[in-house]
Amino acid sequence: MRENRITLDNTIHTKLATYHDPCNYGRKSLKAFGHGYFEEGRIITRACCPSFVDMEPNRNGNYCCGAGGGAWAMPYAPERVFYGRIKARQIQECGAKMVIAPCHNCRDQLKKSLNKEFDLGIEVKYLWELVSDSVIIPTKK
Amino acid sequence: MMYEFKVADLAEEFGVHRNTIRNWINSRTLPAQEGPGKRYAMKVSDYVALCDKFGIIPKVNMEMAVEIEELKTITTAQTGQPILQLGEKTNTLFDDPSWGDVCLTCGTCASACPIAGVNGLDPRKIVRMAVLGLEEELIESSWPWKCTMCGKCEEACPMNVEIVKLMRRLRSRRPRNLVPGPIHKGVAMCLERGNNLGIPKDDFAFLLQDLGEELAAETCPGFTTPLEVRGSRLLITVNSKEPFAEPDDMKWWWKIFYAANESWTVSADNWEGVNWGLFSGDDEAMKTIVGRIVDNLERLHCEALLLPE
Repeated sequence: MRENRITLDNTIHTKLATYHDPCNYGRKSLKAFGHGYFEEGRIITRACCPSFVDMEPNRNGNYCCGAGGGAWAMPYAPERVFYGRIKARQIQECGAKMVIAPCHNCRDQLKKSLNKEFDLGIEVKYLWELVSDSVIIPTKK
Repeated sequence: MMYEFKVADLAEEFGVHRNTIRNWINSRTLPAQEGPGKRYAMKVSDYVALCDKFGIIPKVNMEMAVEIEELKTITTAQTGQPILQLGEKTNTLFDDPSWGDVCLTCGTCASACPIAGVNGLDPRKIVRMAVLGLEEELIESSWPWKCTMCGKCEEACPMNVEIVKLMRRLRSRRPRNLVPGPIHKGVAMCLERGNNLGIPKDDFAFLLQDLGEELAAETCPGFTTPLEVRGSRLLITVNSKEPFAEPDDMKWWWKIFYAANESWTVSADNWEGVNWGLFSGDDEAMKTIVGRIVDNLERLHCEALLLPE
């Protein structure tokens, strides 16, 4: 994006969008590496979705989706869904209908579990899925 | 001998702002290590040197150090009892018991934790149990596996107790055959076959080629999947979930690479990007799996690694 190697069409995704901060990209990267990747994903999301809103709290204070640390694969599904109730409420309160998740675990929990359990009526995309669906393919290679 | 201090106290002692002390620590002007409860420790000799530098009379100096033998003599003379000697450190869950002992059980962690209260899980209780040496009870409990190690508790903790580190240490102490769910099986499979789900090499290569042809026909004319292309700029790992269950999802990244005219490749072996040793608490396996990715980077002469998640 910075080097203009890809061009993004920002008219495709018109729903109000929000960005979910995965614990490992944000809070835990900040602790482990001294840099939390909070802004990078937002810059990319906003380049595709001009209609954007943040959840509260966000960034370092964001709530986990509930499926991190291997919980998506653990045999504790009721606990995992209960865990996700705060995430579900955050999404409902911000009013977004498109949630961008840059992590496999988070995306699966949001799309396949919380969306149904809490009747959120949202669309969930990976960050790179959003970019792929927005990228303009050059006509001449 | 170490001098332990809090930032605010040292700032007052030197007549500077707290931020100045923090800046000195970060720049190593002040060689201190962060310890439990937002306290720092530095060698007394460094502390004395710092005091000398700024013309301040040190609160402590080396001459104040107590000799253990001397202390024994004094204690015995005063009480008539032999000195009580504590045994070796037996608590293996904390590097230093004060990491847990600074916990005030204030409950900020429990308020921040979305799963606190479920089946009796409470970060305060877990920290306290670890301090008290109730290791077996903790290792056998399901709490460390219901916790997602999200770090919300640590972010909230006013005393910097390393709760996530404790949780992961508890996970690592579970016998491997008792790790819940498939994550240890995935680690074992990855060590044996190069990916968590045991996808055979030929199937993987065929799938990637086939998907590449589909993508070329759909949106990216002339696209072919670059498997094992030496000298590519990027090496890309793959989440085995995708070739196993959601193969079309791999095309999203490929389309971006095509649009950006990126130079990239995927290795034919050991392409797994999901290191479940992180979650199962298996440092040895984690290291082996990361090492294989580094080997691929070197073998294929790639400049950079992209773990696409």
